Amino acid sequence: MSSATLLTKAQLQNALNSISAGFLTSAEANKTEPILSPFKKLGVLIDLEDIEEAKETKIPLYKNVNTKTTQTQYYSCIQCRRQLPTAHLLDLHITEQHDLYFAVSVERGDKPHYTCYIEECPLKFFLPAERKDHCIKVHKFPANYRFDQGKLPTKAKSSIRKATNAMDVNVGENMNDGKLPYIKAFSFGHPTQRTFNSRKEKALLDVQAMREALDDMD
Amino acid sequence: MEIVARASTPAVDVQINDTALRLRIREYARQQRKELRTNTTDALRFGLGQIKDKISELENLGIKDVQGMASRIKRRKHATGEDMYRLSHAFLQGNENITAFAEVQGATQVIIKEFTGTQMQRQIEAAECLCNYSLGDAHVCEKITTMAGSYLVTFLDSKEPRLKRSCLWTLANILATCTKSASMLLQMQLASKLWKLYTLPVNDINGYHEDAAICLYLIANRAASSITAEDRRYIAENLHKKQPGEAAADYLMYIVFQLEIVSRERDLCAPHFQHLLQFFVENLNLNMNTAADKLRIVYGVRVVANIFATRPSMGQLELQAEHLVNVLNKLFALRDTNLTMDLMQLLKNLIEAQLLDNELLLEHIRVYA
Repeated sequence: MSSATLLTKAQLQNALNSISAGFLTSAEANKTEPILSPFKKLGVLIDLEDIEEAKETKIPLYKNVNTKTTQTQYYSCIQCRRQLPTAHLLDLHITEQHDLYFAVSVERGDKPHYTCYIEECPLKFFLPAERKDHCIKVHKFPANYRFDQGKLPTKAKSSIRKATNAMDVNVGENMNDGKLPYIKAFSFGHPTQRTFNSRKEKALLDVQAMREALDDMD
Repeated sequence: MEIVARASTPAVDVQINDTALRLRIREYARQQRKELRTNTTDALRFGLGQIKDKISELENLGIKDVQGMASRIKRRKHATGEDMYRLSHAFLQGNENITAFAEVQGATQVIIKEFTGTQMQRQIEAAECLCNYSLGDAHVCEKITTMAGSYLVTFLDSKEPRLKRSCLWTLANILATCTKSASMLLQMQLASKLWKLYTLPVNDINGYHEDAAICLYLIANRAASSITAEDRRYIAENLHKKQPGEAAADYLMYIVFQLEIVSRERDLCAPHFQHLLQFFVENLNLNMNTAADKLRIVYGVRVVANIFATRPSMGQLELQAEHLVNVLNKLFALRDTNLTMDLMQLLKNLIEAQLLDNELLLEHIRVYA
């Protein structure tokens, strides 16, 4: 049956001559009937038991994905304990808030260092504000993006304020207009947050304070 | 007293150990049952209004209830798990509930606040609430995209599987509803993120391949013109990461064709062409019974036709003439009119590219009238 309708070489050659070589475009292809049926929007059914159990269970006995209230599902900063939802955001946070080398590089200002919040975007910026503008204009981020690294966490901010007051230094000079990030100083087995020592004014809470203390010694 | 008893009778000691072990096993079994139940619930997805037919003992929630809940969460600037649970159910019950909620200024922000908070359980509940909210019309989807689009995209990199999946479902609903929202999401580099999920190694237990593939399919189908050059380049550079036979591999050729990854303007290098050709041949199932089979064949042929249209050189493509002719003959033998037209275009492009001995090719090819 099939041999009866088979094209000969000449017929095939003729048929091919009537076609021009070129690309098949999606516009042409969309004229034909779609293969898949139209997408049906679906919602999700939530189980009330889950919510109630999560409320009751403060620390789950076993690592259950659905009742997890522990912090293992976040990316946490070991230094300031800030929790971020993705590895990229944590990476940006550690670099920008706790890396002294980064701070010095930014101070030098020879090349842009602030990476975009979107991991896939290759652009870098000189200032956090420039990055914020880029994210709002190009990536349509909200102006109050929650994981903005430009804003310091409240804890860190208050520590800086304390340190500034304690060392009685020139505020403008100390913070370099916010350029120098909050970097915790070394601790020799006695972390400041657990001490009973109330004389906080002598504590060297960040690298800036430590640097100035060393200058004073000279 | 307990110590005395333990010291005096070793049998009692063994019994206590047994009981402890039994308790642990029971607890473990309970947890596992719960996990399975949750997974089943996750699989329970409903369209708008469908829930009323499926579940008889359902709390009937109307516009008034939704407005009440919306004003309450707005007043408190916080939504509890139960609030979000009731809202989710209300959204599933009808579009009028969704519209009523959207009309309450500031209510959506409260859900988004919970969604971006620091409590994972609350975040998951908010994500599921947003997923049901996205069943609404274009203006609702636009609102979600403007306020929470960046977070929906960000959380695709989250460690929590349920949150990630809910985000994918929400994104799929938005992409299917509103082209403006789709183009806004694409500006947030959604396509590259989805491609990453689509090409994750198969050993990932949670498997987001299918959901990511559906989102990419929707982009290719409805918003291909909005996709950026960077996204196209990213996909082209990472084509090789999807292997034939992997989950949701059926969608690949459709995505590649619709997004015009193979075109005159794009410089795909030789390994990419070779990969696509190999993918087409290996992924081929020579019958057109299911939609997946059709998708694989029809768009595979179109992509291969376009590869030949770029006029690759002999060194760029390693063609096994006999094998290729065999495959083409089997496809011609399916005698599908539209497919035959595309196959003829493929044949013409192949002849023009002068990659094989054309005389020999025409002698061996079997085309049916």
